[in-house]
Amino acid sequence: MTYAIEAEGLVKYYGNKQVLQGLNMNVKTGEIFGLIGANGAGKSTTIDCLLGTKKLDQGTVNILGTSPTTKHKSLFEQIGVQFQESAFQNGLTVKEICEITHSLYKNPIDWRTKLADYQLEHHVRSSISTLSGGERQKLCILLATMGQPKLLVLDELTTGLDPVARRQIWNNLRKLNDEGVTILLTSHDMHEIEALCDRILLLKHGNVFMEGTVQEVLSKSGAKSMDDAYLQLTGEGIR
Amino acid sequence: MRTFWLLYVAEFKLSFREMSSFIFGLFLPVGIMVIMGYLSTTNEELVTTFAAVATLGLVSTGVMSLPLSLSSYREKKVLKRYKVTPISPVQLLVAHVFYCFSLSILSMFTVSLVALFGFNMIFPGSIGLFLISYLFVMISIHSIGILIASTSPREKTTAAMSSLLFFSMFILSGATIPFDLLPSVLQSIAQLLPLTHGIELLQSQALGSPFTSYSSLLLLFVITIAATTLSLRFFRWE
Repeated sequence: MTYAIEAEGLVKYYGNKQVLQGLNMNVKTGEIFGLIGANGAGKSTTIDCLLGTKKLDQGTVNILGTSPTTKHKSLFEQIGVQFQESAFQNGLTVKEICEITHSLYKNPIDWRTKLADYQLEHHVRSSISTLSGGERQKLCILLATMGQPKLLVLDELTTGLDPVARRQIWNNLRKLNDEGVTILLTSHDMHEIEALCDRILLLKHGNVFMEGTVQEVLSKSGAKSMDDAYLQLTGEGIR
Repeated sequence: MRTFWLLYVAEFKLSFREMSSFIFGLFLPVGIMVIMGYLSTTNEELVTTFAAVATLGLVSTGVMSLPLSLSSYREKKVLKRYKVTPISPVQLLVAHVFYCFSLSILSMFTVSLVALFGFNMIFPGSIGLFLISYLFVMISIHSIGILIASTSPREKTTAAMSSLLFFSMFILSGATIPFDLLPSVLQSIAQLLPLTHGIELLQSQALGSPFTSYSSLLLLFVITIAATTLSLRFFRWE
C-alpha cells in the first residue's frame, strides 16, 4: 500500500489557540478521501499545513514521497489545489487564466478540449466575474488539473452550488479518479461525501474523531445516512 | 519566462479594463501638460513644468496602482494560489511592478511629446541624465508603494494611505501647482514629500543647470533603501 499523503502528529497554534492537536492522517494513493468537520474544526488549517502554505508547529508531512517544504517546484508540478475562495486577478477572462495556468506546468493538458468536459466551451472569452458559481467552480477544477496532477486537493468545492452543477462536478471528479488521480476534499455536504469518498476522516477540535469508510462510520454511529451520522457524531450528547 | 510575459500582459489588460490607472497615470498628466503648456510664457517655464508633470505617471502607478493591486492580490488570496503551483508568487509581483514601470515611462514619453510638438519645447539639459534621474525617481517612489502594501493590514487601509499620499504629492510637490506659488507653510510641508525632491532633481537635469540637488538625491536614495528593506522585512503573502 502506498500513500499519497502521510501526516503525523500535526500541531498548529494560532496565537495561544491550538487548532491542530497532534493530528495523524493518511491518504492512500488512488482513493478519494474526505475531510469533514464543523466550521472551525481545522479542515482548512490541515490542508494549509499539508501543503506547506502554513507552517507547522510540530509534526511531519510527506506528500507523494517528499516533504512539501523542500522540492517545492517539482512537487507542485504533481499537485493541483483549489482553495475555498476562487482566487484570480479581477477581470481576467477564462482564456487568459487558462493560458497563464497552462504556462506554469511542464506537461499541461490541452485546456481547450477539456473546457467541453466542464461545459465551459462557450465561455472562452467571458470574464471570470460573469460566470455563475457553478461555472466558476468547474473552471477552478479544470485549472487545478492543468498540470496533470497525481494528487488533487479541493477545499469545499461544491459549497453553494445547485444540484445540477454539483452532479457535473462529481462526475468530473470520478472520471479523474478513474484515471488514477488521488483526491483529498473537504465538504459540508454529506451526500457528496457518501457519493464520492472511499474513506473519510471526521475532524473535531483539531483531532481525529472518527475515521474509516463511509460504511464503517455509518455502522459505528448506528445512523442510516451520513447526515444523521454527522449530526450524531458532532452534535451534543454524543454516546 | 512565458508565464512572466503572460502575467505582464495580463496586468496591462486588467488595468486597461479597469481604466483608473490609465486615467490618473496617462490621460490626466497629458491634460495637465496641455493646460500648463498654454500657461507657460517662456521656454524655461515650459521645461520646468514638463519635468514636474512628467512625474505624475510614476506617482500614480507607484503609490496608487502598485500598493492597491498588491493588497488586493493578497486579500483575495491570489498570491496564496500561486504558492501552490510550480512558480513563485514573486513572479506576479514583479510582473505588476514592470507593468507600473512601463506605464510610468509611457506617460513620461507622451507628456514629452505634447511638450515638444504641441508647445515647441526646447530641451536644454542632457536627455540621458534626465532619463537616468527619471528612472531613479520612479524606482524610489515605487519602493514607497511596496512599503505601503507590505505594512497595510487590508485593502481599505491601503486605499486610504495611497489616496492621502497621492493627492498630497499631486497638489503640493509642484507637479500641478508650481512649487514657488505655494504659501511658505505649504512649502515646508511639501519639503517632507519625496516627490518634491524628485521633481527638483528632474527639473535641474531638464534645465541643464549646474547640479546642486545633492540633498534631494541623498534623501531619495535613503528612502529607496529603507523602504525596500522594510518591505522585505514586513511583506506577508496572506
